[in-house]
Amino acid sequence: MFEKILIANRGEIAIRIIQTCKKLGIKTVAVYSDIDSRSLHIREADEAVHLGPSASSASYLVKSKLIEAALAHQCQAIHPGYGFLSESASFAAEVVAAGLVFIGPSAQVVATMGDKIAAKNMAIRAGVPVVPGYNQALSDMGVITEKAAEIGYPILFKPAAGGGGRGMRIVHSPDQLASALQAAQDETRKAFGDDRIFLERFIENPRHIEVQIMADQHGRVISLGERECSIQRRYQKVIEESPSPAVDTVLRRQLGDMACSLATESGYTNAGTVEFILDQRGDFFFMEMNTRLQVEHPVTEMVTGLDLVELQLRVAAGEPLPLTQEEVKLNGWAIEARICAEDPCRSFLPSTGLVTRYARLRGDNVRLDSGIEAGSIVSVFYDSLLAKVAAWGQTREEARKSLVQALNRYHVEGVITNVDFANAILNHPAFIEGRMTTGFIEEHFDEGVSRLTPPREQLEAMVIAVTMVYHNRDNLMRESLKPMTAKVGSSPKSKGEHRYTVKGESDIFTVEFQGDAATGLWDFRIDGTAYRVSSPEFEFFRRRLRLEINNESQYFRLQYRQNFIWAAFCGISRIFEIYTPREWELAHYMPKEKTSMHSNELTSPLPGMVVGVLINQGERVYRGQDLVIIESMKMESGVSSPCDGIIESIRTKTGVAVETGDVLITFKT
Amino acid sequence: MHNIAHNTLEKLESMRQEALLGGGSQKIDDQHRKGKLTARERIDLLLDEGSFEEFDQLKTGRARPETGTREFPGDGVITGHGTIDGREVFVFSQDFTIMGGSLGEAHSQKICKVMDHAVRVGAPIIGLNDSGGARIQEGVESLAAYGEIFSRNVMASGVVPQISCIMGPCAGGAVYSPAITDFTFMVDQSSYMFVTGPNVVKTVTHQEISAEDLGGAAVHNQKSGVAHFALPNDILCLREVRRLINYLPSNNRQRPPIINLRDPAERVDPALDYLVPANPNQTYDMKILITSILDGAEFMEIHPHFARNIICGFGRLGGQTIGLIANQPAVLAGVLDSLASVKAARFVRFCDAFNIPLVCLEDVPGFMPGPEQEHGGIIRHGAKLLYAFVEATVPRLTVIIRKGYGGAYVVMNSKHIGCDINFAWPTAEIAVLGPKGAAEIIYRKEINESPDPAQTLARKTDEYRQMHANPFLAAKQGFIDDVILPHETRHRLIRSLQFLEGKQVNQPPRKHGNIPL
Repeated sequence: MFEKILIANRGEIAIRIIQTCKKLGIKTVAVYSDIDSRSLHIREADEAVHLGPSASSASYLVKSKLIEAALAHQCQAIHPGYGFLSESASFAAEVVAAGLVFIGPSAQVVATMGDKIAAKNMAIRAGVPVVPGYNQALSDMGVITEKAAEIGYPILFKPAAGGGGRGMRIVHSPDQLASALQAAQDETRKAFGDDRIFLERFIENPRHIEVQIMADQHGRVISLGERECSIQRRYQKVIEESPSPAVDTVLRRQLGDMACSLATESGYTNAGTVEFILDQRGDFFFMEMNTRLQVEHPVTEMVTGLDLVELQLRVAAGEPLPLTQEEVKLNGWAIEARICAEDPCRSFLPSTGLVTRYARLRGDNVRLDSGIEAGSIVSVFYDSLLAKVAAWGQTREEARKSLVQALNRYHVEGVITNVDFANAILNHPAFIEGRMTTGFIEEHFDEGVSRLTPPREQLEAMVIAVTMVYHNRDNLMRESLKPMTAKVGSSPKSKGEHRYTVKGESDIFTVEFQGDAATGLWDFRIDGTAYRVSSPEFEFFRRRLRLEINNESQYFRLQYRQNFIWAAFCGISRIFEIYTPREWELAHYMPKEKTSMHSNELTSPLPGMVVGVLINQGERVYRGQDLVIIESMKMESGVSSPCDGIIESIRTKTGVAVETGDVLITFKT
Repeated sequence: MHNIAHNTLEKLESMRQEALLGGGSQKIDDQHRKGKLTARERIDLLLDEGSFEEFDQLKTGRARPETGTREFPGDGVITGHGTIDGREVFVFSQDFTIMGGSLGEAHSQKICKVMDHAVRVGAPIIGLNDSGGARIQEGVESLAAYGEIFSRNVMASGVVPQISCIMGPCAGGAVYSPAITDFTFMVDQSSYMFVTGPNVVKTVTHQEISAEDLGGAAVHNQKSGVAHFALPNDILCLREVRRLINYLPSNNRQRPPIINLRDPAERVDPALDYLVPANPNQTYDMKILITSILDGAEFMEIHPHFARNIICGFGRLGGQTIGLIANQPAVLAGVLDSLASVKAARFVRFCDAFNIPLVCLEDVPGFMPGPEQEHGGIIRHGAKLLYAFVEATVPRLTVIIRKGYGGAYVVMNSKHIGCDINFAWPTAEIAVLGPKGAAEIIYRKEINESPDPAQTLARKTDEYRQMHANPFLAAKQGFIDDVILPHETRHRLIRSLQFLEGKQVNQPPRKHGNIPL
């Protein structure tokens, strides 16, 4: 076994690998860029090497620096993690050429699997079904019609040149073929000067199923069950689970055998994942093979009880796999949610900043793989994945409930995350029933919000939580002020029954309750529904509240926003307005929120680099018009005018780095 | 006999009913239609339920048949006292439904009566303003009536907290009462304040401007600084007043209330150790620090939309109200300019008047340079902040977070002007000026004569930064009492406030100082 390895990665995966190394007594060398100089993964490692500037092209992607660092620190191997250089064949080759071990498959296999055509051909050779298609580029109408009939509709046109979805067309029936071909060829000819296209069967609303395999250098390959990762947003997985509700024992064996034979055929070693799509008829097709440890490996670990990183290290060190296929036992169910720094309400734009508060998760059957802590800086430079929360249960429903509870109490403050979005998915009836396709999010969500009305019961639980906090804080205030009140006469006794009207978006709740903070026992009635609630001693600096509602423990995340209280629970995130009966009686006179506190400035909605200023000083602009283009995380987004007006001054220019809230433009309105 | 007594009771009842109806149901509907509550509804929401005791409900003005005015019970203002979370306050609420809430002699006498009571018993005064202005029909008597109120505002200043809510028009001379009071709230879209209205502006200067643009909540909260708070409606405005009152003592002889939010004094925040970015050119948001250290993360910011390069507001540390003044590096790098100086100076003086300890979180690159500031009197205005700090006798704490440069370092509640405890974070840079500026001056010759001046400057800047841009030189001198770890800031401040509870300062007798207004 190795004595010391270098981990060519950062964030949660670097920490994950370090943990196994510690267990095995392997020393670790972490690497970091400028902005990561105070990151968690450095402190976890035994040694740390500075690579260079923050941009990954100048740090985590510089192969020579990584190899030099590994050699300088007497490492025997490099673990690439995922992302960055994990699937770079040339890196794998250079590592080996430097006399080090690359913890992953051979450079040649990495290269093969990285080439779509080569990988597909490899799959065909291994007898793995691939999506029906014609593997030569065509431009002749007659041949295309003939081949399309052979492949079967619907057909997908893929241009031979270029990428990015340009020229892609879906054709549902032969009569659409001519016009679709015309359009596709026009487009690709214009864009790439090439009108040749590939034909492929279009798989509608498939499920994404992948098989984890592990292969040693002695010819043994085992499969470790499947994972379903159908819940994706723009090809980014959000929720992953193992096993898949769509896979039965027979299919599992079939998929496992296919994956293993592909690995054998290609001479694969170490951990790998074979991705399949499963169509609505139950047919599956090979998509690609990922030659690295996957982000979602924890769910496999939770159902197999294995440590995949440990297996990776052992295999890379030349040891044989310590178990046979028959010894692989799948136990229970595991579901994982990826927590990313992105804002679901603003088209999932990346969110950056200082993590000001962070609540670690503990608990049986809950696993947290986190790269952050309070004080971590989330920057624009890297992937937005902050952490992964996974839960295990005997059944899928048990695992789901446990994960929902975990996310209810997982609090990250300072950067906006998708935690409530992920939780909303887990609470969606279609997910609960296991009805998932890769189109799940587009089908059920709009701007990150579920199209379904939240269940009344969950809303009422939130109403109980916010009312409790409001009421008890109010009471504490009054109690604290007692010594300063008039000594003459006695203060009026507080009423036994309390009433409030609570408004959460368009839902209105009439809340009546009795009880007191001393016993922590309360009887609630919300619009007639009774609840028995038990509360802890309120500590108002906390963001999490645990209440027993009808003898069930529930966690809420809460925050005072001036007079209102924001709450998140089971994927629902709302601001609640709490009114006393007197206030509520008069509330309907209040004008609809219309503010003149409008800003006469345009501020950057996200951190990034200004790559375009589209207007000049003195120009008249209109609300909604794009004024500035900002590039962030390799994405350019237009920042539009908040008002009609005339540009008074432009406070930025192309090439300037901006933070959220920086003033870009001021207006005369 | 029986009948006479009975009739008298009935008569009282009917007089009361008349008073309660104000200007009549038609006018009340008009008020509601404008999104405004009536004078009585406002009092009802402001005070604890059932606590309001009214004075002068039956007082009327003099009818002037020649001008078509008649007597109204109450004369367009409701006055009295009640409690906010148990503590007495005095309140007057102008009734727009009676003669447009216009201020006449009787109206003013009612206000003056509650003000006199408030000063005598030491309880806050809250004015809910909704008035068309002076009652023209009464002529000079109504002007005299304003004068009576203004004088009382001044005499009450620094004795009891005075709060004004502008919940409708407030124009002409009427504006000067809120102007003297300690805090002014405005309701967005339904209130405005100006000395002369749009009509006069048009006649005199030929400028066309709406009441909202001339003196709405947005203008006074963002541009003029006349108002301290803007709230979207009456209900939230009145809630916010209650929230403010709960930070304040009832008068200048009391200490501020202690509110126990069950937030441990020794709570540490590990994120603070990473708050100040390693890159000296990168900013951060001071509000992260503020909400981290205060009890329950609750902070009531004063002037949140005005001169945002300095943050002022109330919070609690270990239950005790503190007045917090902090430079905001995220706005104009936290520089001190005229507006920021004046904003903070007035806040410091309020806190000092009402025994509220001052906590200053400092990250100031200096005073704002440039002709605009110089010609605008930054010297005069900066001096106000200096004066206010020096004069303050309440416990005074400062924590230097990053920059403390030049005169601004001295002004921002430094040890040299009487702060009790001056902490610094290890990231603090205390010097006469920034490293680059200092290097340019000190090593001018060497830099100019070197083959590569830019590189020499960079090297010298770095050298200077290493040598001087730290808290340790100041700590050696004792100007800094201790260099503290960021995560322990809350605890260290609370411990200091504990030992400063008994602070007393004797000052030489004088009529009053002469702050450079």
